[in-house]
Amino acid sequence: MASIGLINYATFMGTMIGIYGILALGLNVQWGVTGLFNAGIAGFFAVGAYLSALLTAPPSPERIMGWELPVLVGWLGAMAGAALIAWPIGRVCLRFRSDYLAIATIGVAEVIRLVLRTEETLSGGARGITGVPRPFGGLEYSLSQFAYFALVIAVLLMVYWALERQLTAPWGRMMKAIRDNEQAAAAMGKDVERRRLESFVLGAAIMGLAGALYVHFMRAITPEAIDPMIATFLVWIMLILGGSGNNRGAILGAVIIWLIWSMSEFITDQLPADVATQAKYVRVFLIGLMLQLILRFRPEGLLPEESVQRTSHLAPPRS
Amino acid sequence: MNKTRASILTLALAGALATAPAWAQNVKVAYLVGITGPIAGMAPTMVQSMKFAAEQVNAQGGIGNGGKIDPQVYDSGCNPQLATDAATKAVNVNGVIGMVGPSCSGPVIAVANSVTVPAGVLLITSSGTSPKISTLDDKDLVFRTVASDDYQGRALARTLKARGTDKVAVTYLNNDYGLGLAEAFSDEFKKLGGTVTASRAHEDKKASYRSDLAELAKGGADTLVVFAYGNSSGLTIVRQALENGFFKNFVGADGMRDENMIKTLGAENLKTFLVSAPAGATGAGFEKFSKDFKAAGGDPNGTFAATSYDAAFLMALAIEKAGGDKAKLSQALREVATAPGEPILPGEWTKAKQLIAEGKDIDYKGAAGDHEFDANGDVPGDYILYKVSGNTFAEIERMK
Repeated sequence: MASIGLINYATFMGTMIGIYGILALGLNVQWGVTGLFNAGIAGFFAVGAYLSALLTAPPSPERIMGWELPVLVGWLGAMAGAALIAWPIGRVCLRFRSDYLAIATIGVAEVIRLVLRTEETLSGGARGITGVPRPFGGLEYSLSQFAYFALVIAVLLMVYWALERQLTAPWGRMMKAIRDNEQAAAAMGKDVERRRLESFVLGAAIMGLAGALYVHFMRAITPEAIDPMIATFLVWIMLILGGSGNNRGAILGAVIIWLIWSMSEFITDQLPADVATQAKYVRVFLIGLMLQLILRFRPEGLLPEESVQRTSHLAPPRS
Repeated sequence: MNKTRASILTLALAGALATAPAWAQNVKVAYLVGITGPIAGMAPTMVQSMKFAAEQVNAQGGIGNGGKIDPQVYDSGCNPQLATDAATKAVNVNGVIGMVGPSCSGPVIAVANSVTVPAGVLLITSSGTSPKISTLDDKDLVFRTVASDDYQGRALARTLKARGTDKVAVTYLNNDYGLGLAEAFSDEFKKLGGTVTASRAHEDKKASYRSDLAELAKGGADTLVVFAYGNSSGLTIVRQALENGFFKNFVGADGMRDENMIKTLGAENLKTFLVSAPAGATGAGFEKFSKDFKAAGGDPNGTFAATSYDAAFLMALAIEKAGGDKAKLSQALREVATAPGEPILPGEWTKAKQLIAEGKDIDYKGAAGDHEFDANGDVPGDYILYKVSGNTFAEIERMK
């Protein structure tokens, strides 16, 4: 009993880590590789989650859609939807320098959140969408959770593999060139604005996929889930801690932060009952403290970017 | 990945060993409350009243033969990601057999869907008011001691109609509280043959609602139903409607039952003002809870204090009735909470324990109501209609 319980807990954490890992990978494309300061991760996460829910959930009289399509269609729809939303935003906002882009994307994410919260016919409003199917959801608790965990990890590995290929290809080096010196890249004939838009849209699509994976895991979505603290800033901390510019770093950051976030509660529970309630805040403090320490002593993250070593054996791009 | 999994397991194991029970007879119950996050202000009282219930149970004989309720407090953060994580820990690592909470409706839905219902754990929330919770596919494992937003709106509509009002305009604060009430109210009012001439959402904290009021008044109704808070937009709306003579009668729900309204506007101006509020704060159950909880240093009028107490106490009763068998908990909960049976008031654990031991049926009459659960595990909610009298609110009738 106890060991099954631990496995259940581990698979739950593994699934959440997988979902956050994908979010961090999406952010890594935008920030780590291209230098786009997207502070509106929650917005794209929400678009993916709600769209996939609407495509696959049963219909309900109070809102639109509910088409009961296969889950895979929901996932692809989530990616396409997040990309479609990102495109016009990118067209407008990517002309801003980094900190202005951050402000603009926070604004966009808040707009998305408020629209989803208030537009009852679109999203179920404050009550959200329930009855979203989970693949293997019919199985017994542990099995169903484990099967979904395996699925999420498979998706995570696929995304990782695809991004690794994309980033070691000339496209990836071009993006880094744009990030490091925009004028030089432009002088080399690169269409800076278009390339940045590509990266922004790709990252957003990956975030949308993470949203879709999340909604099918929880079988429901409500506006509380797209709180910026949980869906934006936690992801940023993961990427910065793990090492921006490095896909493995992004995943490692997700693993470490989620473990600390989740397991620190066991430690704070050991404190006397009088302070145990207040001690719940220690988790928030710990995460902040770690970020401070990392930025102070290891600003490049635990697994720094390694583009030079990994691509130096390849011939320089011809263009 | 293997290494990661191994380290996850090691860490989890360490956590589990550290929290291993003192003795096996104790029964672990999770209290999952939004300690951090948007309702952090209400959480301390909720935790305190839940723990107070557990203390009373333990002081009066505990569970079964010398066992104790062992409360495990977790943080739900009022957020589904954190709540499901905490619930997974509670159920799988700490091995709780029942869960009181989580706070907020979104986390209730997520936790029920992905953790407690698949794992067969009984969940009683004391603060999730969304109507969506009623319709969950929950294998009879999700209950609540707080009424769905739906009920109050419907009860108010029936009462108003019965009192002879046929035409109203509705304005509501644009959040899930206001929206839920307004929808249920309008739906029921129309079903009964009444007319809602206009229904408009409004945003909080505006300086003037005169243009909203002018629009609302166009339909010719002389009664305005306001679903908002009496220390905020509700106050401004009623004041401006009075000043400009847009409406004659005003009706509100529990958010408007705020003595600040009377202080600011004056009782003589509020003769036509009616409000509904949950009856919990009047019954014998509440009086007993109020006295005991005050003596223990708590605030019985705190938001969700009474419902949280009831949820924790009902959980203990159900555990006692089921003999600690997780699979029988939901059936046992229905038996101890609903009529018929010997009435049990808050804190009467010794009496309840004895009756259960004798095999007699009991019926818990809680601090926040009688908790006669319906098929969805919802409580119907007991509401009272109040009018302004002097500097306070006086009961007119019980609403059905």
